[in-house]
Amino acid sequence: MQDHPEDTPAKEGVSRRSFLQGAGVAAAAAGISRLPAEALAKEQAETDLQVLGPEAGQITLKVNGGSKSASAPPSTTLLDFLRNDLGVTGPKRVCDRGSCGACTVLLDGKVVDSCSMLAIDAVGREITTVEGIGTPDNLSHLQKAFIEKDALQCGFCTPGMVVTCTAMLKENPNPSRDEIRQGLSGNLCRCGTYQNIIEAVEHASRTGGK
Amino acid sequence: MKPFKLIQPTNENEALQARSSDGSEYMAAGTDLLNRIKEHVASPETVVDLKKISGLDQIESDDRGIWLGAIVRMSEVSGHPEIQRRFPAVATTVGHAATPQIRNMATVAGNICQKPRCWYLRHEGYPCIKNGGTGCWAKDGENEFHAIFDNQICSATQPSNLAPVLVAHDAIIEIQGQDGVKEITAGDFFTGPSENPQMEVKLSAGEFVRRILLPAETETSLWAYEEAREKQSFDWAQASVTILLDRGGRKGDHRVILGAVSPAPLRREDMEKKLNGSEDEATQAALIAGEGATPLSQNGYKVPMLQGLIRRAVRVVRSREEG
Repeated sequence: MQDHPEDTPAKEGVSRRSFLQGAGVAAAAAGISRLPAEALAKEQAETDLQVLGPEAGQITLKVNGGSKSASAPPSTTLLDFLRNDLGVTGPKRVCDRGSCGACTVLLDGKVVDSCSMLAIDAVGREITTVEGIGTPDNLSHLQKAFIEKDALQCGFCTPGMVVTCTAMLKENPNPSRDEIRQGLSGNLCRCGTYQNIIEAVEHASRTGGK
Repeated sequence: MKPFKLIQPTNENEALQARSSDGSEYMAAGTDLLNRIKEHVASPETVVDLKKISGLDQIESDDRGIWLGAIVRMSEVSGHPEIQRRFPAVATTVGHAATPQIRNMATVAGNICQKPRCWYLRHEGYPCIKNGGTGCWAKDGENEFHAIFDNQICSATQPSNLAPVLVAHDAIIEIQGQDGVKEITAGDFFTGPSENPQMEVKLSAGEFVRRILLPAETETSLWAYEEAREKQSFDWAQASVTILLDRGGRKGDHRVILGAVSPAPLRREDMEKKLNGSEDEATQAALIAGEGATPLSQNGYKVPMLQGLIRRAVRVVRSREEG
């Protein structure tokens, strides 16, 4: 069992097979006898429930405007898939329990904790990580505001903060201080830079841009 | 995280069939289940994902009220104009739960079926009456956030923010089982430990929540929801009070539901009777808040906390009356 995949060496040696399909049919069939007769006929017509995993299978996601594929078990979280399998390391693995927001990404434009959902549930959705918001050579308006207002100390929460604040400003271009605080309620900063982050969001809001 | 098999049924029968294998568990968004697997307190062989079942992502109105599909996200409820207008207590309460990220992911059915946040229950080293052992570690242990009512068998509280307001509205929980669909009221759905200590909700093996009905006959604009929590950002309530007055326009049809102080949302008819419009009704209701309470070593503070919340909630709900 791997509790912390990031602590383990590269996975080249791990056997990667396609998803085992149909493996659960025998197990599932045991339950059919419990169904009422009328349901039974229907069930027999559709017993081929697809069972994914537990072995790795191909997962393809739309990340920052491009299509990316890798092989991973269906139990892989979106965060671990992005970081360990696709090499998209902007989202950070901190609490891994949906409490800290360091892993925040946008799913169809909405903030989510990528640690608390399966990668497979993001199939077909538009995923945006901090890498899709700005680059070192082409920072977003908000990222410039973060620098201007010194809105980071150790920087580990920053990718999640930038993603959250970007979505916040898109939904509400002129947030009040209270609305900013509420919008940030899912992102923790252990250095305690909240005040400067709030000022950066206000600055970005005041000075326009995207 | 321990690997599991994943089945993604597209209709109810497939879901029931998939769930009939041993060691299987249902999952909606997974915001609770995945955490419990990571903590080694759940270890399903097979996870049956309910999100692909068609129609369960819909919010629909009919003459009975507003139906919330099981996998409707919490942020969809809090931001839904018709729910905001007809069931403001529901929209607002859901909007206060968890974080923006979680509200965009977590579903309404998952929210009401999440396991309690008891730190013993969520630690693999403490088997208790809820998970294969006996007794309750919190009762004589660390119990600051635990129940002050009905806490003798298990003292974990019902963690769902949505639960008290659903009980207050007599919401109907539509449950899918092998024999079809049945409906029970939210008040019967959330259960205390005396019935079945392992379950906090009335779901038999294989059953799942299909929809939730907010009944038209309990609509009211006279509502209050007051809660106390340790921090204003992401946290669960230490205590909460939900008040609805004159439900469906019927004078005197009130509900007072206490949250986070008992294993199931606690209806207080004695307090409802105190809400008669008299000048000291808030005081009268607050005075009896602790009746029946059996606080543990660290959570006696919840009684005066409730009293404060009740006063605040009565003030809020009466101010709405005055417009």
